[in-house]
Amino acid sequence: MTSIVQNQWYVAAYGREIGRELFSRTICGESILFWRTEAGEVTAMSDRCVHRRFPLSQAPSHLDGDTVVCGYHGFTYGADGKCVAVPGQTRVPRTARLKSYPVVEQDTLVWIFIGDADKADATRIPRAPWLDQEGWTTVSGMEPLAARASLLVDNLMDLSHETYLHGGYIGTPEVAETPITTEVDEEAGIVYVSRHMADAECPPFYAKSTGIEGRITRWQDIEFAPPCLYKLHSRVAPVGVLPNEDGTDPHAFHVEVNYAITPETENSTHDFWMVSRDFALDDEAVTDFLRESNRTVVLQDVTALDVLEQVIAGEPDGYQELSINIDTGALAARRIIARLAAEASGAAAEQAAATAR
Amino acid sequence: MTLPPPREVLAGDKVLRINWLPGSDRLRGRCHCGAEAEGEDPIEMWEWLLAHPNHPEGGPDVPPVPDVLPPPPAHRVTDPSIIRSRIPVLV
Ligand code: FES
Ligand SMILES: [Fe+2]
Ligand SMILES: [Zn+2]
Repeated sequence: MTSIVQNQWYVAAYGREIGRELFSRTICGESILFWRTEAGEVTAMSDRCVHRRFPLSQAPSHLDGDTVVCGYHGFTYGADGKCVAVPGQTRVPRTARLKSYPVVEQDTLVWIFIGDADKADATRIPRAPWLDQEGWTTVSGMEPLAARASLLVDNLMDLSHETYLHGGYIGTPEVAETPITTEVDEEAGIVYVSRHMADAECPPFYAKSTGIEGRITRWQDIEFAPPCLYKLHSRVAPVGVLPNEDGTDPHAFHVEVNYAITPETENSTHDFWMVSRDFALDDEAVTDFLRESNRTVVLQDVTALDVLEQVIAGEPDGYQELSINIDTGALAARRIIARLAAEASGAAAEQAAATAR
Repeated sequence: MTLPPPREVLAGDKVLRINWLPGSDRLRGRCHCGAEAEGEDPIEMWEWLLAHPNHPEGGPDVPPVPDVLPPPPAHRVTDPSIIRSRIPVLV
């Protein structure tokens, strides 16, 4: 049984990663070729030639206008994955076609639909507008994680670990000490976890980037749209400074810390991270600092989760864990992901039955 | 410094909420139907909420804790290659 949820949109890449060079990435266990057409559209198809399986991302495979030419025997494919030319003969076999994937480029991200393409509804893709909006500056990256996606979900849904794993960067004692509130929207499939610290130490990550000296009011509001997009709405202000009645909040610093959690395989994950801020927009020093610090923090998680994956992979199934209050949000996220997986495998079973009939 | 009342952010018709009551170890769960209960264990609390519309009387179960605990089990490892290759990066 696969743990990867089918019939979902996943972030495959940053838009900037895909151009007129062939680009390959494994998403949810499927090896996928990406490239941009001459008109600038991102297109995605299997990265294996139907002829003898040569990877189409592998030189001397190459783009020729809006076609990909296999570098082994020259099978040539259009942007829709259909083979348009084979060597030496005029008849192209009808079965010479690559699986092609629904793709949407939005908010600087390239989203891909994994599963039954008929179910791809682009309006279900969650938004992160600040990634591509006037008034925000973003740094971002991606770290390969040698651990299953569910471990990263657990990690991000419980930020009390900041105190221990990220002390001296983003963790302070108050994070682990402050109670959370958790909400689940059963219909929309959203988990929201909020931790509002009224009077907290300011960790270096925020002290150096905002210039605040002294203690802060620190709000962490997690909004997770399983299975992929995680948004941490972070608000930092001098102690006691609250938003105005009308919702405006001119004296606080806002940071959107977003992650896209995309399974590479059952046991490895693409850990996309993005940090957007609404202050010091053109300050290169702040940009560099936030990029370096966040990457360091991500790598602290990666190191820990890579070890944890090894432990879990090497123990018998059914090991008993222990959950406490800090885990309320992670438990909710797991449950929604399990439900999405069950729905998708139910749909797959139905389809198989229909074809068998 | 007192905390503000629990925030309600999600606006859907089917929202389940668990508030960790400040200054305590207790959780308070509330269903969209209005049913509410207190408890101490997040797993039991989710189960109680998800039982909607039949939320069990008396709130979530308390996980049983026997008077005398059995000795804790060993952490069994099964994959020899992993045992050999594991580098203790975090210690
Ligand atoms: S404290 Fe969470 S794994 Fe040890
Ligand atoms: Fe972390
Ligand atoms: Zn109810």
